[in-house]
Amino acid sequence: MLDSAMAALASLADPSLLIMLLIGTVAGLIMGLIPGLGGTGAVAILLPITFGMEPPQALALLIGALAVVHTSDTVSAVLLGAPGSASASVTMLDGYSMAKKGQAARALTLAFLSSMAGGIIGAVGLTLAIPLARPLVLSFASPELFMLTVLGVSLAAVLSRGNIIKGVSAGLLGLILGMVGTSPTTAEERFTFGSLFLGDGLSLVAVALGIFGLAEIASRASQRRGQKQIITLGGGWGQGIREWLTHWTHVIRGALIGIWAGVLPGVGATAGTWMAYGQAVATAKDKRQFGKGDPRGIVGPESANNSVEAGDLIPTLLFGIPGGVPSAMLLGMLLTYGIQPGPSIITEHLDLMYLIVWSFAIASVLGALLCFLSVKQLAKLTKVPFAILAAGLVAVMLLGSFQEGGQLGDLWIMIILGVFGWLLKSTGFPRAPFLIGFVLAIPLERYYFLTDSLYEGFDWMARPGVLVFLAILILPMIWAFIKFIRTRRKTNLDDGHRDEQPEDDEAPLKNSTWSLTASGIFFVAFAAALISSASFSPEARLVPQLVSTGGLIFSGFLLFIEIRRRLRDRTPKAGETLAEEADGIRGTQPAKAGWTLDAKFALKTFLWMTGFLALTAAFGYLIAVTIFIPAFLLIVARARLKVAIIYTGVLYVALLALPSLLPIDLPQGWLNTLV
Amino acid sequence: MTVLVAYASAPEGREALTEGIKEAHRRKSDLLIVNIGRGHHDLDAQELQELEGQLTEAGLALTIESSILADPGDAVIQIAQDRGVEVIVIGLRHRSMVGKLILGSTVQRILLDATCPVLAVRADKL
Repeated sequence: MLDSAMAALASLADPSLLIMLLIGTVAGLIMGLIPGLGGTGAVAILLPITFGMEPPQALALLIGALAVVHTSDTVSAVLLGAPGSASASVTMLDGYSMAKKGQAARALTLAFLSSMAGGIIGAVGLTLAIPLARPLVLSFASPELFMLTVLGVSLAAVLSRGNIIKGVSAGLLGLILGMVGTSPTTAEERFTFGSLFLGDGLSLVAVALGIFGLAEIASRASQRRGQKQIITLGGGWGQGIREWLTHWTHVIRGALIGIWAGVLPGVGATAGTWMAYGQAVATAKDKRQFGKGDPRGIVGPESANNSVEAGDLIPTLLFGIPGGVPSAMLLGMLLTYGIQPGPSIITEHLDLMYLIVWSFAIASVLGALLCFLSVKQLAKLTKVPFAILAAGLVAVMLLGSFQEGGQLGDLWIMIILGVFGWLLKSTGFPRAPFLIGFVLAIPLERYYFLTDSLYEGFDWMARPGVLVFLAILILPMIWAFIKFIRTRRKTNLDDGHRDEQPEDDEAPLKNSTWSLTASGIFFVAFAAALISSASFSPEARLVPQLVSTGGLIFSGFLLFIEIRRRLRDRTPKAGETLAEEADGIRGTQPAKAGWTLDAKFALKTFLWMTGFLALTAAFGYLIAVTIFIPAFLLIVARARLKVAIIYTGVLYVALLALPSLLPIDLPQGWLNTLV
Repeated sequence: MTVLVAYASAPEGREALTEGIKEAHRRKSDLLIVNIGRGHHDLDAQELQELEGQLTEAGLALTIESSILADPGDAVIQIAQDRGVEVIVIGLRHRSMVGKLILGSTVQRILLDATCPVLAVRADKL
């Protein structure tokens, strides 16, 4: 064990690995600054670049980025009061208050140091998890692995924030989407509608970038104006270091909470940091300063959000069930290299495991160091309006998702899923279970058939491991049910600690025509899947039918709730009191949101993306970029002409140079095939 | 000086409010209401107005405050410490041992963490 660890460290002395780690770290830091990208965006954008690389180099790049995304996202939260990612909004509470008092440097010192420590402790946790879980993992056979995949999807659905029914529906739809393509057992085509292109299944990068990346861009592209405030870093570097040293227990506690939140599927960095904050408040004797600049409010959460990413990797690598969205993509990447996470990675690829650990730890230190050195430049970057970034991001994301299969069809799917992802985001459906379901669909089916062919009937259910997993599967559901009943009876007032984040405005179109439409889409999709799976052979049919029946039940329930709510709204008397109540709850909440301004803007952005893709299909990528970027910048982002010209020029040159530096293909248009 | 009432729209919250008003009159202190219920169900405007009128007559002030902290127990204690509150008034209800063990108890946390006297009243009297 120690040998492999040292061998992995020695291999990191290889300059190509070190360079990749450095590039990944820098890329991760930059992407951490861009609002809405976070770890998911970082991995999804970098993943296509790794397609031509060897596994160690690819892992160094991706882990380098993943480890530091949450180090730099603090900068804008502290300096501008506008968090770079949802998890940094916790740091904002105390960090921004400190910055307003002229102590931004103190807050940033605390944050960077805690992020570094969180990353290192996370890496240590990952290391310790390997020998601890090894005997357990090696005792797993296909029934346990099957249960684990089921557990992965359902825990992600249950533990994600928001409605459990919505979570389960999203997870099941992800499973169905993952089954598009060739069936793993009978090699027949499923849900392909006779298309050869769908026969390979949907590309993971396209799905992830669509559901998360494009959806995020569309919902934020209306931000034309950057923050104009003058930023002063102020003093307090030394004070920050001293305070950080006195609060070392909070650093460790935060990191441990982060690891735990990471291990649980569906509980990501955001929930983890709120848990750490709640814990820091709960254990503090003097609570007066929280929210007004208490160092403990920065140290714990910052340490937690970095260790979450390491915690995510524990179930991903050891059991093959992703703990979060970025690690779901990492899992997809490992599978394309033929590295099967779970028992086989421990026996055959232990060196890669340790490489990941070392990369994570080194990148954490490197990231914090780079942040200290370049904090002034980073602060300037945060002032760029999102709409201007959006133009380049769209171009980069489309290029990225083209790399996996080299087909324009992937890009169309990506935009369609982008619209769907935006709908999910705005109507309060969690998207993590969707992607985790997508990744686990094929393993789930394969393990099920292995189990089914190796065991008689339901004998496998009696294996102790399976029973334990069944218990883990059912307990959270009973738990959720008890909580639901207590909430209805209002007997839950005294129910202990609540450290969930406050009700956010992430889902502005909840309880509107939009969410009714979303539930309708779910219902129709499951019904269509059920009907079309009737034509498959019995073996290929079983799992899709089970999943879509379950999906029909859950989405039917959702649809029922939505329709009932609408009917109740329509009856005038009840409607009035409800509206009043809603006004009381939140002054600005629209009772019935039709075409809100944001919705219009988001759909306009999607139209722009479609236009860009149509141009690409017609004239090729380079020409499309030279038309799309200036047009988007001038019309949508309302940038100055000079900015638009320089922006387009730089991007064009970069794209010309890119294919010779990296194994990247630019999409060719219909025109190029003629010439 | 101030009397802090942890209010929620439930019998125990009501009881705490009634007792808190009595306590404010008794101590000749201002009244501070912290809403700890899930959701945002505040006292309705009319009731608040009546209460305010009643308190102003006695020369006392009424304030309503909330905290950024998500946990109600922490929120109550933070505000109590911040305002230098004289006494916290909370309402309780019977909780089984197992219930407290599994779900925890906000009231217990307030009782243990508070840095000022706490007056606890029961809603389900004999």
